[in-house]
Amino acid sequence: MSNFEPKLVCFSCRFGWGYLADEDALASQIDNWIPIICSGKIDATHIMDAFRQGADGVLILGCPEGDCHFQDGNFETRKRVYLLQKVLASCGIEPERVRLELSVDPEGKTIAERVKSMNESIKRMGPVKRVPSAA
Amino acid sequence: MIAKPKVAIAWLGSCGGCDEAVVDLNEALLQVTDAADVIFWPIALDYKYHHIEALRDGEIALSIVNGHVRNSEQEEVAKLIRKKSQLVLAFGACACFGGTPGLANLRTKEDILNWVYRDAPTVINPKGCYPQTRSQVNGKELTLPEFYERVYALNQVIDVDYYLPGCPPPPDLIASALKAVLEDKLPPRGSTLAPQKALCDTCKRNATKPARIAIKDIKRIHEVDANPDVCFLEQGILCLGPAIRGGCGEACININIPCRGCFGPVEGVEDSGAKFLSALAAILDVEDDGEMRELIERIDDPAGYLYRFSLPVSILGSKRIQES
Ligand code: SF4
Ligand code: SF4
Repeated sequence: MSNFEPKLVCFSCRFGWGYLADEDALASQIDNWIPIICSGKIDATHIMDAFRQGADGVLILGCPEGDCHFQDGNFETRKRVYLLQKVLASCGIEPERVRLELSVDPEGKTIAERVKSMNESIKRMGPVKRVPSAA
Repeated sequence: MIAKPKVAIAWLGSCGGCDEAVVDLNEALLQVTDAADVIFWPIALDYKYHHIEALRDGEIALSIVNGHVRNSEQEEVAKLIRKKSQLVLAFGACACFGGTPGLANLRTKEDILNWVYRDAPTVINPKGCYPQTRSQVNGKELTLPEFYERVYALNQVIDVDYYLPGCPPPPDLIASALKAVLEDKLPPRGSTLAPQKALCDTCKRNATKPARIAIKDIKRIHEVDANPDVCFLEQGILCLGPAIRGGCGEACININIPCRGCFGPVEGVEDSGAKFLSALAAILDVEDDGEMRELIERIDDPAGYLYRFSLPVSILGSKRIQES
């Protein structure tokens, strides 16, 4: 499926990602980018909603381990993402469609790159195959 | 004499438990038959599909439909019922969300047929016969409904007006749903005729929950002697109560079994599995990735556990039947 263009949703924590940059300018470079306050806010239902609305993958950018503004929001998300990945895998959906990266980038220069790199790997997977793919 | 409103009770892919739940209304059922004519109820009355076909469109006031849709006969009956009915009530977890049969969506149709007709240890099928939609026997053509790729909830096949969940729905909610129809006191279309809050809200064990649950181990109910008075989650036993609509009467909790989710997502939530998953992640008391992985590995079949009754309507398995 060479002409498949994956749709990605990217959530990033405002405390670690792009807070020095002009958010509007960054947003114009990244499709479906949703800056939020604390990656810990990302509930599994938000991720599932993204898939429900047609996303092929979800990228979550949180702050480095031990560096959460709210103590352990990023670790909470890590638990949630790991659990969700298990569930996706047992439904035959590639767990790599949900990716959590814990790092920091005040200028947000790498966000677009990270989205692009995830896009590439999703491109290789193709669109989400619901189990089992209906005829 | 004014004609009584007509009521139909149909079963699609169903175990019969939902029909049994209607029978269990006992005397209350007589009040229903006083006020309405039950014109179709395959489990109890000898009426045929052509009796339904002969009715005018919309002639049935209320159709109570249980079971999921997985073959062409079930689809056909669902569509026929829809055409002839003013109101369609999806009755029971199977009709509302696909129910336990919906877990079959974790396998392909081929896997299922191969297991049932070839690979299961109890199968003796030397000629390798598989069911066919058409076959010739002694010069006659025999037909069977087509087995679909997947299980559908009722609203993925026809429009549904009301929902009454449960596996099966409890008698008090059935009685009040029927009363609401007969007295024309129904809530807005699309509503679920059950309480809106989560099961935990009415569970008597809720009071034993500490301000913050923190579990270091996950246990399955058959592995332990669960304390009948303490919240299951607090005991490390997965109970879907926080994400599931209440109204079941805590039938499972009362016999010391955790909630498995037959009432579907609490009002306002689409995906009860994801909702529960978030709640569960929050109470896992682990210090690092290693501990986290180890604890999460303890959950056998997470998709089956989280979506035991609702896989066909979750994002993981949702699709509306192709318009034919
Ligand atoms: S909801 Fe439960 S009782 Fe009703 S048909 Fe399905 S499995 Fe049977
Ligand atoms: S989690 Fe289960 S046992 Fe605990 S309060 Fe909720 S419904 Fe009751």
